[in-house]
Amino acid sequence: MSAFILSGLVIGSIYAISALGLVLTYTSSRVLNFAHGALAYFAAVFYYWLNNQQGWSIPAAAIVTILVMCPALGLFLWAILFRRLTHAPSEVRFVSTVGLWVALPALTKILFPFSKTETFDAQGLVKSPPDIFNVLGINVNENQAAVLISAVIVVVTLTIVLRATPIGLTTRATVDSPRTARISGINTSAITAGSWMAGTALAGFAGVLLTPILGLSEIQFTFLLVVSLAAAVIGRLTSLPLTFAGAMAIGLIQGISVDFLPDEGVLARGFRPSLPFVAMLIALLAYQGLRRERFEVDLRAGPAEERAPVPERWRGWRAAIGPLTLCIILLSVPLWLDDFWVGVVSQGIALAILYLTFTLVIGEGGMLSLCQITLAGIGAFSAARLAAESGVPVGVALLAGAAIAVPIGLVVALISLRLGDIYLALATLAFALLVENLVFARSDFENFGAGVALARPVFLGIDFNDRTNFYLLLVAVFLLSALLIATLRRATSGMVFAALRSSETASATTGIGVVRTKLILFAASSFIAGLGGGLLAMTIGRATTTTFNLLVGVVWIAIVVTWGVRSVVGALLAGIIFAVIPQQLSLILVLIAVMIVAGLIVRLIITKSIRTPIGAISGVMLLIGGIFIVRWLLDIEVSESWVDVPTMLFGLGAIGLAREPQGLVADTINRFRLRRIRTEARLLNTQSQVGT
Amino acid sequence: MRNPLLSAESITVHFGGVVALDRVSLAVDEGSFVGLVGPNGAGKTTMFGVLSGLIRPNSGKVAIDGVVVTRSTPQRRAKLGVSRTFQRLELFGELTVREHLVLAYRVRQRRDRSFFRDLVGLGNRPSPGEDAVVDELLRLLTLRDVANRPAVLLPLGTGRLVEVGRALAGSPRVVLLDEPTSGLGSDETERLAATLQSIRAEHNVAFVLVEHDVDLVLSLADTITVLDFGQIIAQGTPEDIRASREVQEAYLGVITEPN
Repeated sequence: MSAFILSGLVIGSIYAISALGLVLTYTSSRVLNFAHGALAYFAAVFYYWLNNQQGWSIPAAAIVTILVMCPALGLFLWAILFRRLTHAPSEVRFVSTVGLWVALPALTKILFPFSKTETFDAQGLVKSPPDIFNVLGINVNENQAAVLISAVIVVVTLTIVLRATPIGLTTRATVDSPRTARISGINTSAITAGSWMAGTALAGFAGVLLTPILGLSEIQFTFLLVVSLAAAVIGRLTSLPLTFAGAMAIGLIQGISVDFLPDEGVLARGFRPSLPFVAMLIALLAYQGLRRERFEVDLRAGPAEERAPVPERWRGWRAAIGPLTLCIILLSVPLWLDDFWVGVVSQGIALAILYLTFTLVIGEGGMLSLCQITLAGIGAFSAARLAAESGVPVGVALLAGAAIAVPIGLVVALISLRLGDIYLALATLAFALLVENLVFARSDFENFGAGVALARPVFLGIDFNDRTNFYLLLVAVFLLSALLIATLRRATSGMVFAALRSSETASATTGIGVVRTKLILFAASSFIAGLGGGLLAMTIGRATTTTFNLLVGVVWIAIVVTWGVRSVVGALLAGIIFAVIPQQLSLILVLIAVMIVAGLIVRLIITKSIRTPIGAISGVMLLIGGIFIVRWLLDIEVSESWVDVPTMLFGLGAIGLAREPQGLVADTINRFRLRRIRTEARLLNTQSQVGT
Repeated sequence: MRNPLLSAESITVHFGGVVALDRVSLAVDEGSFVGLVGPNGAGKTTMFGVLSGLIRPNSGKVAIDGVVVTRSTPQRRAKLGVSRTFQRLELFGELTVREHLVLAYRVRQRRDRSFFRDLVGLGNRPSPGEDAVVDELLRLLTLRDVANRPAVLLPLGTGRLVEVGRALAGSPRVVLLDEPTSGLGSDETERLAATLQSIRAEHNVAFVLVEHDVDLVLSLADTITVLDFGQIIAQGTPEDIRASREVQEAYLGVITEPN
């Protein structure tokens, strides 16, 4: 028993170090960093590289990683990203850090190719294998001792710094009220920068300590993130002592549970991942009374930042040009692509249907759901098992699967939505991890990687096993869903969604049912997720656990945001590109290179600097350089090592385009129109000033 | 005795250790015009938060037509006819000026709940009477020229008028105006005052006005409540307030003699 308590304390200490870093950065900047686990992962890989591969001694590697590299990385990220996010709308904050969560592990794998495979021989802060010694009758190994001592050091240092130094006083002032702190002459930027440096260092510290215990794999660090978030929720995202206690409690329960649980089976595998969800659930239900506080925070927050308006839509017959062209291109695909590529594009369309769930939930609702892929998986597995076991016709099973996803999605939304958007993100993340480990990992779902087969339907005398027929079915479903979304957006509901995204406070006082509207949107998006999941499984032929993996879902968010999270065309492009990546990596890379160059040139034109000599020269250079890059990319053999490049770029794309919900293509075009509107607005401003 | 349209009784609000409101009472009768003045930090905006349902008071009760709504949501109070503007603009940035008014009007018709109707393409038709109300308000508030402009690009003063328009478009019974004239020029202010008076006369709408421009409040309001540090220091007609020694000491002493 005491051994289990000890191991619980050890793992709890690691969770606590990580969670303290997370809360520290959140309180100082109001940005909840979903890349916290990714930062820990990067630091752990970096430490492994220094220590195991470069042969640095443990102290040198530890100091360089935790006290030099991590703070520098934190400072860098603060300067280029987090600093700008404090006053951004909540979905921008969310999507940006999710983008970083996608980009950072991909970058890690590009920089340190060894990290593509899991390694288990990492050393922590003591040499491996650690010596074992006896304290009060309990066998403690050096590694465990090192972790416990580290936790004590972190807690003591934080307490001293925050409670007994001027830095602590100014930090607490900044956390309480940034504006008042600024007015009283506190350099709040330095405080937030400092807390990001400290927070990143704590993430790295946790990463270095975690590796020898759980191995160096990305998924372990996702789990670290989720536990840290759960602990942070227990601390109501602000209280360091409560967060610490929460993390320790989760660690202890996890450690002690080993003593009671069976060695094999779902319960043994599922208990650990379900812990953070259960902890979060209890905390969320306990904190339901927090609503008043939330509104107070809203009322006292700093000024909301200006947002780019949606440009006017074309009206009349011109409004039909875009959709018609889209239909023609999509329907004609079987005419100009061979069977193989029709299959690839089919998968893309199935993904695109699924991605419309993000269009609704993030794009329209501004809600930060991380469990859409899980809902898709629920839809797919339900459909597949219904069809296989109950003999329900496949088409009916598909719709039933989608319908099953709705109440499940609603429950997750319901327990968290009243507390605010950030809690929805947390609850959906924990829920995704829970289902993935407790349900999808069951042997009757996972089936040694083969999953559950899902046949294509035959109805009305049409055999959808035929590639072209099935492709056309998918296109029909996509176009219908897209049409429904577009209709909704143009109606009163569209205005209601836009109002909610801009100001929940004013929406509420105008009489709009905030929670009600969001629940409806969430239900609709769950249905689309379930339907798309089923269709995707049908396209592949089976519903598998690997298709509906949380980390894949995060990449999906990044890619959809890059191509336009509020645009159905964005969902379509994202789906097709995600399906094409494994087939034609170089093509995608060329496409991205072209987009980057084109985007830069458009920006040069808009800022008018292209009319200056330097601007003109740089424009021409970009063009020539772009052509060379494209040619070079087309010529090179794309090897394994490039696999992570698109993922990284889409992560970066999500960061860069988080503020521009229309996505890359539309945004580039819109910039021209926006400039015109801005000029007019400026004229209006001057006129009204002259008037007074 | 008839219940007042909107009333607050003995409202107390703490923010941490700070007492923002200390046993403040306020009654707004149908069609009346109530002024709420006081120096910065006196608790005026907090009072609006309590009245509109954004802030739940630590003690005291709020009632609409005698029905206690202290724990009701802002939405419910809006449905019962309470609407408000915000001192720090809370506009719907992506919507045009006209759409702000249209939306407020349709929400009052419960069309924010017409999800399925919207899904089949019936959702962008104007409600009966909508165009008349919206266009009239746009005209009264001189917003016709900017009607189709997204709110995010508006100058501050125009934004305040949009706030007023949105608050009025849902045919409210009482409107809480939080410093609607800051950022407006003097002739714009006069125009807004005239508009408010004509709307009050025509539709029997009650107003509660928080303003720094004390002359404006004195000229518009029937009754005035003066707050200082979360406490009522005077309550009465404009004449009473002008005469009140406490008010002059705490607040009005520095302003010019009323004409």
